[in-house]
Order: sequence, then structure tokens, then C-alpha cells
Amino acid sequence: MFLPDIPELMIWAIYFAPMVSFAVIACGITIPRMGFQARHASRLTITAIGLSWILALWALDTSIGLDGESAGFAPHEWLRLFDFEVDFGVQLDSLSALMMFVVTSVSLLVQVYSTGYMHGDGGYARYFMLMSLFTMSMLGLVMASSLLQLFIHWELVGLTSYLLVGFWFHRPAAAAAAKKAFIVTRFGDFFFMIALVLIWTKTGGIFDITEINALAAQHQLSDAVLVGFVLGVFAGAAGKSAQFPLHFWLPDAMEGPTPVSSLIHSATMVAAGVYLLARFFPTVEAAPGEVTTTIAYIGAFTAILAASMGIVANDIKRVLAYSTISQLGYMVMAIGLGGFVAAIFHLFTHAFFKSLLFQGSGSVNHATNTFDMRRMGGLRTAMPLTFATFIIGSLSLSGVFPLAGFWSKDELLLDAWHHDKFLWMVGTIVAFMTAFYMFRVIFLTFFGEYRGGEEVDVGHDVAGPPHESPRSMTVPMIILTVPSVLFGLFALNGFGGFIEGTLPEEIRHFKFHMDSVVLASSTLAAFGGIGAAAAVYLARTPKPEQLGRAAGPFYTFAAGKYYVDEIAEGGIVRVVLHRFLGRWIAAFDRVVVDGIVNGTAVGARRIGDIARRLETGHLQAYTSMSMLGVVVVIIVIFVLSGNVLER
Amino acid sequence: MVTLFLLLPLAGALLALFLPRERELDARWIALLFSGLAFAVSIVIFVTFDPDQNGYQFVDQFTWINPSGAGFEVQYFVGVDGLSAPMVLLLGLLSVVAVLVSFNIDERVKEYFAYLLLLETAVAGVFLSLDLIQFFLFWELELLPMYMLISIWGSGRNRYSAMKFLIYTLAGSAFMLVGFLVIGVDAGTFEISALTEMPPQDALIPLSLVFWAIMIAFLVKLPVFPVHTWLPDAHTDAPTAVSVMLAGVLLKMGGYGILRIALPILPEQAHDFRFVLAAIAGFSVLYGAVITLQQRDLKRLIAYSSVSHMGYVLLGIAALGAVGLSGAALQMFTHGTITGLLFVMVGLIYERTHTRDITSMSGLMHRMPLIGTVMLIAGLASLGLPGLSGFVAELTIFLGAFDAHPAATIAGIFGVVLAAGYILWMVQRIFHGPADEKWADLKDANCWWEHVAMGSLVVVIVAIGIFPGIITDSIESGIAPIAQIFEANL
Repeated sequence: MFLPDIPELMIWAIYFAPMVSFAVIACGITIPRMGFQARHASRLTITAIGLSWILALWALDTSIGLDGESAGFAPHEWLRLFDFEVDFGVQLDSLSALMMFVVTSVSLLVQVYSTGYMHGDGGYARYFMLMSLFTMSMLGLVMASSLLQLFIHWELVGLTSYLLVGFWFHRPAAAAAAKKAFIVTRFGDFFFMIALVLIWTKTGGIFDITEINALAAQHQLSDAVLVGFVLGVFAGAAGKSAQFPLHFWLPDAMEGPTPVSSLIHSATMVAAGVYLLARFFPTVEAAPGEVTTTIAYIGAFTAILAASMGIVANDIKRVLAYSTISQLGYMVMAIGLGGFVAAIFHLFTHAFFKSLLFQGSGSVNHATNTFDMRRMGGLRTAMPLTFATFIIGSLSLSGVFPLAGFWSKDELLLDAWHHDKFLWMVGTIVAFMTAFYMFRVIFLTFFGEYRGGEEVDVGHDVAGPPHESPRSMTVPMIILTVPSVLFGLFALNGFGGFIEGTLPEEIRHFKFHMDSVVLASSTLAAFGGIGAAAAVYLARTPKPEQLGRAAGPFYTFAAGKYYVDEIAEGGIVRVVLHRFLGRWIAAFDRVVVDGIVNGTAVGARRIGDIARRLETGHLQAYTSMSMLGVVVVIIVIFVLSGNVLER
Repeated sequence: MVTLFLLLPLAGALLALFLPRERELDARWIALLFSGLAFAVSIVIFVTFDPDQNGYQFVDQFTWINPSGAGFEVQYFVGVDGLSAPMVLLLGLLSVVAVLVSFNIDERVKEYFAYLLLLETAVAGVFLSLDLIQFFLFWELELLPMYMLISIWGSGRNRYSAMKFLIYTLAGSAFMLVGFLVIGVDAGTFEISALTEMPPQDALIPLSLVFWAIMIAFLVKLPVFPVHTWLPDAHTDAPTAVSVMLAGVLLKMGGYGILRIALPILPEQAHDFRFVLAAIAGFSVLYGAVITLQQRDLKRLIAYSSVSHMGYVLLGIAALGAVGLSGAALQMFTHGTITGLLFVMVGLIYERTHTRDITSMSGLMHRMPLIGTVMLIAGLASLGLPGLSGFVAELTIFLGAFDAHPAATIAGIFGVVLAAGYILWMVQRIFHGPADEKWADLKDANCWWEHVAMGSLVVVIVAIGIFPGIITDSIESGIAPIAQIFEANL
């Protein structure tokens, strides 16, 4: 638009810059002789990601100039092995350009924030090394032109999430959460991988995403293949984007450092599932209606389920985690309803305000050494900047006019209104719950009396009364308020048309409009939620405890996270896999399979002993005997076979 | 060239035996020198090997036994093609690694290294032989050093395990020999390429029986359910270097034998039984993985994971298509490096903690960050993380096998999820958690030989994960003639 078109090499540079930073820091850590110091790690990472950000802006500019249509760079050969031919390339279109912009922007700000938050941590260099690796992998994921290329980076972001959640591996909870995050998402990837193998087999060896979408849109794939592929991809997306029933890893993932949550578990990686569904949107649309309906309903169910858990959680980060799950449910619902633009728009705005909110929670933690809201309170005077930015983020998330979240949520609810009134109702209730739990957080954290914080926490050296965080942390938060407030206005400015540029023309049907019923109800829901929270947590009429008692079993269930963790971990993994299947199979292996073998051996030896009356008891003797035996057999058979032929 | 590769370790073994007793420790350097030279030769072979050329390269051939008027002869016939070239490279690399991790052996040093080098020669003979009888002799020759290494330098129930290994293999190879003789006598030649060109149509006993007679030896070696129980015992009681060789190259003799002998010579029978093979493969993957989840002994855990991972090799083979077969060949190479590295790491950990009980270790990452990191890389490669070599091989197998055996392939893909379970559980238990006072005195890897052994395998695992082309060109040229047999006739 403003600049000449970006050359392909520069797009690759967006990807390679953080890779170089990762590699250099990795070498610096392993080879002490390099004289590498921790502060170099953060500078290098910020420089590399800063470079990526500038280039990503250029890419976005180019993409806007192309109306969001694919720039059509030819891919490059990666592997040739008979029919297994894979080419890797960069896909530059509205979707990837927007995602590159989101990933690099949020990542850059989070890195700056991390220099303050992680200051003095023993693993400072390792932290930035992993952040570089994550940013590289995430960029590789969004720019991939091939399904396999996407899948490879999909797994790599999963790896970095594992390593960063378990960053403080000396804490057993963090180590367990990391493992859980990896295995649960990998369970989703099991289906994703089946989908990948299925589509390759049924298309005769195609991995190129554009080609797969074209084949699906031209109805060249059978319904069975489409159903299998879309459901498989959706299961993978459900794992990464924490959709029911694979949602339960995300709250535990909050054990990682807060900037990690701010980048990976709110703005970027967890949105990758939505991105994946959007990438394959033409294929998803071509699938039978039942499939898309299933996707929409799972999304909506996840949205309301997670919101209900968010209302009762006492850990500020966990509230935000449930909120993230809930908002991702919104996006998945939109994809299922055919609301491509709405899903991406919400992904876009959500990335900024949710990252902001997580940074706010980290700032609060930096001051109080706790994430437990029952030990906070009254922080608005001690931390005015954190307070102000947190309010802005919350208002945006709650969907208050004219902040960014309002516009994107409105698009979502509008799609639901047109396609499925029931889902619209669910969505509006979720909007009410969202406003309620966010302002519950605000009133508990920033209002009332300070309730003392916590003395010790790992990785920090803070004590004493709460105080505002250093500038390295507050500046990124202040910057993030800008997109949280303003980016919704793109809705009025051709955002939908640009984003749809990636789709084939037949399925572009976005037209910006508003509906008074949807508008009124969602605004009412937002203010209703804020008001209800104020009544309960500010005015304390009714008191929260009374409310909890009144809700009775519902409260218990929600506070117990609906016992999904217990069912999945305790029930399925521990009882079925370990106690039942595993133990029996292991016993079977020991007693039966091995027993038969040993029995045969013992039996054979007994017979031999009796026959020959020759028991020396020396294993070597047996060995040499049997070796000798084999040699004799060889010679005998040789001679015999020669004779046979001679005859 | 190839004969040089075969004889170098043997020469080293003899030289080591003749060392005077007071200079016994020099056997280490002799072993390192000769295995290093052999590795250099294997690199030369691999690099100068021309994938675009048909047939065997670097051939050495002469008649060895020629019974007058018998109508056939036994030859010394060695050479490499695209299938054996990576195996030779793998053997060269892992032998050096095995010598390095044995540097602190202090008991009967001369004999130890002599046996280790003899083992290399024997396995090299298996990978290089192009004559059935010669193949069989090397196959049997490998037993002797293995038996000695486990029973003398092993630990625990070492004699029991060594015996079990021996009996299992011998029982299998007895069947194999019968199969070879039936085929060879009937065709009047034991040359593999000649037999491939004219597959036997009929023999003394039904060919399907011959097929299974040969397969049973290879399946024991691979190993797959239900003939796998020798493997965990042998691994648990073997010294580190022997575990490295066992998992790294000896298991590959099974898969190699199937690809080199069973499939090309008896393609119709392989085709008839492909569903049986796929069923065994899929079952082995899950069965091995579920049992792995139960293990508390570090070595047994990795041993059982091998059962699961070698099931993938059989799955790729059962597909009988170019992609699946390539995947099997690739998996053999990558599993060799990955599991080799895992056993190296287990050895390093055991040397320091003197325990292999996973539940009794914790927080080791604080004391040994380097060992922990390399173990994590090896574990991630083992669970099929993209960017590392295991992923490429497993994906190739899945792609190649899905069309022919969808159910077994899905079972195989689920094995990858279970792999994440046992690997990450193990890493969490051993390395994560608070620093334990019990392990306050542990040292990280600090000797040069430890660094070289770990570093070389990590480099190979990462390099193949990122640029699989460095090895797939060779594999493609090796698999093409086998795949053609199945494409053309069946």
C-alpha cells in the first residue's frame, strides 16, 4: 500500500530472526567460553523480534495492497521420498499477515515486560532463549503454506509451551502442569495427525493448504474424507485452543511465568487452533452441516462452561485463563457458524486486551507475591498505572462501547443471531458472565482493604508494601491499551473485506452491519455484569458467601472445575490405563509371554538332561555346545544337500 | 573399501588381545583408533555412494566354498546399496560411541574391547553380506561377543539374560538356516541378487512355511510381540556400551534382514501375509507402549519403548509400498541414533547415582543440567517431536501404511501419544522437582569422551530432523528395487 511489495526473502527473515537469536543464546549457554551474559540474551531477543515486527508491518502493508489475496510465492523443496514430496513455503495473505503482526507485536511487548518481571531470575538467559524459540515457531506456524510445515511448528509451539510452563521445574506443580499441557494437547494432535495422514492418502499426496482448500471447495473430496479430516483438525484445534473436553490443561499452565501466559496462553499459541480452523475454512465450510454445527455447539458450550468456572476461581491468573478458554470458545463457535471474519476479528482484538490483562496480573503479583485475590485488595492507590490499564482491558473484554472488544464481540453475536438463536442466547449470557467475573477481579484486587499479600514466592525478591511495577513492565501495558481501545474501529474500515481476501470468492459474504436487538442486549449484558459484580463485591449486598450458598451444588461443581481433571487424570489415565490395562498387560507379559518361553526352555533342558545325563551346570558349556551344534548342523546339511543334488 | 570396514575392527580386536598385561588400558585407545578408522571408512562409503546408480557398489567377491559338482557355491560377496549404506554409517558411528562410553571399564579391559570390536565386525558382516550363507555365518558370529559381554561385564541376573538372549536368537536362526537352505539348494545359488531376480516358485516344503521360518528369526531380533521378552532382560543387565550396540544396531539386523532377504526373495508370501504382519506391528506398538508406562527401571523403560518403536518398522514393512518401506528403513536409522543416545544417557546417570529406579531419583536437573538437557532432547526425539529425526521416520511410515492398514496405522499414531506419556513422566520424575540433598555431590558430564559421545548423536538427530534429505536419497535408491517388485507383480 505505502511501500513496495515485500520480497519473499524478507518474509523468511521474519521467521529466521528469532531463530538466530535462539541459536546464539543456546550456544552461549552451552559453551561457557563464549563469555555470554544473561543481559545479552534479552537484548538479542528483543532486537531480533523487533526486526521481525518491522518486517511483519511491511508484510501487512503489502497484503493490504493485495486486498488480502495470496501473494503466491512458490514453495521450496524440503523432502523427496517417492510419493512423499513436501515443499515448504510462505503463505502471504490477509490471514497470515494479520497473524504475523499480532504475534510479533505482542511478543515484542512481552519481551520488554519480561526484562522487568524476570529480572534476577537464575534462568534469565534460558527464558529468553525459549521465548525466541517460541516466537520463531509461532511465526512458522502462521506463515506455513503446507499442512506438514504447519504441523511441525504446531508441535514446536507445544514444545516451547511445555518448556516454559515448566520453566520453574523445581516446583512440582509447574513440572506436572507442563507435562499435562503437553500430553493433553498431544491427545488432540493424535486426531490431527490422523487427519493429516488421511488427507495425504486421499488426495494422492497433497499437503499444500491452498490446494486442499480448492479441492474441498470444488467438491472433489468425498463426504467421508471431509468429515474425517475436519473433525481431526478440529480435535487438534480443540487441544491447542483448550476446547471442552480438552480444556483442562490451560488453567494449570498458569504455573509458568506470567509473561509466558501473557504471550503463549492468551494471545498466540492458544489462538492457533482458531487460526488452523480459519486456514482450512473453505474445507470446513464444504463439510456436511452436522460437522460445523458440532463445532459451533462445542465452542458455545466451552464458552459458558469456562465462564462459570471463571466466576468462582480465586486465583487472578486462573480467572484470566478461564476467560481465555471462554473467549476461544466464542471464536470456535463463530467458525462453526460460518462467521469467518467475526472469529478472526475477535482473535485479533482479544490478543491485545488479554495480553494486557495477563501483564496486569503479573504486575499485581510482582507487588504482592501472590495470585490469590483473597490476599489482595486496595491496590488502586499503590498501583495506579496497573489499575488504569487493567480497567481498560477489562472494559474491552466485557464488550463496552466503543472499545475493541465491543466490536468484535458484536460481530460474533450477530452471526449467532442470524444462524442460531439459541447460540446467540448462550453467547449473550456468556457476555454477562464475562463482565461479571472481570469486575469481580477488579473489585477484589484493586478496591477495599489490602489483605496482606504473601511473603515468599520463587523467582522474585520483592517484599514490603505493594508498589507500582518498574517502567519496563508498565510501558508495555500502557502501549497495549491503544489496540485494546482503538482496534475495534477497523470494523468500520474494511477489516472484513480485507480478511476475506484469503477466501475463494464464492464464500465471501461479509457485509458490515449492526442489529439493534443484538447491540442492545449485549450492551445490557455487559453493564448488567459490571453492575452485578459491583453489587456483590463492592456494596456486598448480597454478600458473595450468601450467593455461593444459594447456588449450592452449582457452586461446588464449578469450584471443583466440574471434576474434568479428576475424570481425565484419575479416572482414565490412572485407573484405566495404569491400574487396569497397564498392570494386567505387564503381568501378562511377565507371567504368560515370558513364562511360556522360560517354561519351554526349562522343559527342553530337562529332556536333554535326562536323555544325555550330562549336566555340567556351566552356562558357557551349554553355549559352546549349542554353537558347536549349529556348526555341525551346517556342515551336515551342506554335505547332505550336495549329495541330494548329485543324485 | 567395504572389506576394509569389515576387517578394521577385527584387526583392532586381535591387536588389543596381544597387549601386555601392564599396558592393558591401552586397549581403550586401540579400540578407539580402530573403530574411529572404521567410522571414517563408513563415512567415505556413505558419501561417495552414488544413489543414482543401480545395483551394489564397492563390491568385493570371490568364491569361498565350491563343493565339486554340487551345483552351487558359497561366496564371499560384500557390497553396499542404498539400504545398507545408512546401516553401515550407523554402525560406524555407534561403535565409536560404544567405545567412548566404555572408557572407564576396569575389569578385563583387553578382552572387553576385543569382544566389542568383534561385535562390530560381525554386525558389519550382516549388513554387507550379499550371500545367504555368509549372512547366516555373520548373524551367528554376533552371538559370541554379545553373550560374553553381557554375562561377564553385565550386572544383575546377567548370566540368565545372556543365556536367554542366546537361546532366543539361536532358536530363531535355526529356522532361518532351514529356510535359507531350502531356498538355496532349490535354486542352486545362495546369492541374494540372483534369488531376487528369480524368486523360488516351489520347494521341498511350502514356501509360506519357508517365509515364516526366515521371518521368525528376524522378528525375534526386531523384536515384536510375542517374541520380545529377551530384550528387556538383556538390556537391563548389559553394560552401557552393549545396550547402545544392542538397541542401536543389533535390533536393526532384524528389519534389515526382512528388507534385504524376506521381502525380495519371497514377495508373494509377504504379500499374502501382509495383514498378519500389520496386525503384529500395530499390536506391538500399543502393547510395548502400555507396558513401558508401567516400568520403574530406567533401562527397562527404554527397552520396552524399543519394542513399541520397532513395531513401527514392521508396520512400514507390512505396507509393502515405496513410502512405507522407506519409512521402515529410515526408522531403523533414526531409532538407532535416538535409543543409542538414550542408553548413553542412562549409563551416565547410572554411573553417578548407582540406581536405575526412576522413583528414587528427583531434581537431578539442578546437579546435571547438561545430562538433563541431552536426555530431554533424546526423549523428545523418541516421542516423535518434529525437528528431530524420529518424527520424519514415523510420519513416513504412517503415510505409507495408512492406505493398506488404516487400523494398524491409527494404533501406531496412538503409540506416539503414549510415548509422550512415558517419556515426559520419566523426565519429570528424574530431573524435575526440588534439588534433593541425596544427590548434592553429583557431577555433570565432565569428561571429553562423554561430551563427544553425546554431542555426535545429538548432531545427527537434529541434522536429520531438519534436513532428512541427507539420508533419504540413499534410502530411496535402496528401497526402489524392492518396491518395484511389489508394484510390478502384485
